[in-house]
Amino acid sequence: MIPLYRHGTSHLHRMPVGAKFLGIFVAALAASVFRESLGVLLSIWTVTLLGFLLSGTRVRGLFAQLWRLKWLVLVLTIPQLIFLTPAEAGFNVARVLAVVMLAALFTLTTATSDILSSVERVLRPLDPVLLRGGLSAERISLALSLTIRSVPVILSFYADIREAQRARGMRPTPRATVLPLLVMSLRHAEETAEALAARGVR
Amino acid sequence: MDNLSSVTTTLDAVAFEVDTAEGARRRILHPLTLTLREHRIAVIGANGSGKSTLLRLIAGLVTPTEGSLQLRPAGVRPGFIFANPQAQLIMPVVGEDIAFSLRRSISSPKGRRERSREILDTMGLGDRENSSIYDLSSGERQKVALAGVLAAEPELVLADEPTTLLDLRSTVEFTELLMGLEAPMIVATHDLQLAARADRVLVFEAGRLIADGAPGPAIARYREVAGAA
Repeated sequence: MIPLYRHGTSHLHRMPVGAKFLGIFVAALAASVFRESLGVLLSIWTVTLLGFLLSGTRVRGLFAQLWRLKWLVLVLTIPQLIFLTPAEAGFNVARVLAVVMLAALFTLTTATSDILSSVERVLRPLDPVLLRGGLSAERISLALSLTIRSVPVILSFYADIREAQRARGMRPTPRATVLPLLVMSLRHAEETAEALAARGVR
Repeated sequence: MDNLSSVTTTLDAVAFEVDTAEGARRRILHPLTLTLREHRIAVIGANGSGKSTLLRLIAGLVTPTEGSLQLRPAGVRPGFIFANPQAQLIMPVVGEDIAFSLRRSISSPKGRRERSREILDTMGLGDRENSSIYDLSSGERQKVALAGVLAAEPELVLADEPTTLLDLRSTVEFTELLMGLEAPMIVATHDLQLAARADRVLVFEAGRLIADGAPGPAIARYREVAGAA
């Protein structure tokens, strides 16, 4: 769901991180405030889809990106159908998806190091307060980057577990999936801590 | 054994134990007294013999449960290369990962980018600067891990089975890179060809040092213990 950064030279790649973030914020705000406006919804979707194409993503890649959101669509749609009409539920889901796609466009066109530098810059004035709590702008931005990095790693663990289960002819059950995933994730956390220590971050 | 480095590692009765799942204590490394000064030192032995523990102790990733360990001159910064580079890489893009190592030495992001480009060029990875770390081969990933370590300009390089996950071609390339480093190095390895090029070889068996000296006799002793003589 969260694509990793892909290097490029498009206008979106070169835009300042703050401007891109502001764009997402404004879109999310508009989607929340004008919740019944079809015009606002269509505008957000148009900007999002154009943004993907301008970033160098091919139409096929765009469809792949949308396909990755299928489970989110299901999770969002089913409960709403209990209380709302299909049209209302569809409208609400389309609003959320538009913002999720914009966020995906942000991570696709923004290098992690640029996000970190921006987070650090914004938080730096708060360092005196943060240091009292054992935190710092640098630590928070590092934690953020490790979280982003962990998403594909944990997804790859899940794929490995599914493969191992298939290799033994097992049907995947929640217990046989969640437990090893938890163990592998904890092991990964330990390795990451060692890797950080080995590179002078303690 | 006359190829001496500027860094001296002294272990004085250093031992290391861990807690087992049954609540008992298990000794991973038996008391060891040793002075390491050679430029290239190889540590060989079976899996679980204590090789990696020795390197982790020297790197300061774990602390001895007994004895004391000192690196001289004081303030020596060791760099550590893991067997699995995936665990070592912090940032999702190659150039960013190298730049991460430079955060303390170069303050400007532009300066870090330029320096990381230079380092990648010297490692033959110039064209991979903007690649995702997940798109690299094992060999390339290990080279990026080495580049990340070297970017921090360590005064001592510790490498824990760095060629274990590599194919033959990548092993040869990576070995040449390691051997070409200016910094002194201690490498734990199963690769006896790599060990044969060291100035001194330590052989471990079940947490004990059983041979220590020139590569020829030490490797012969290891083959004897492993039943492969």
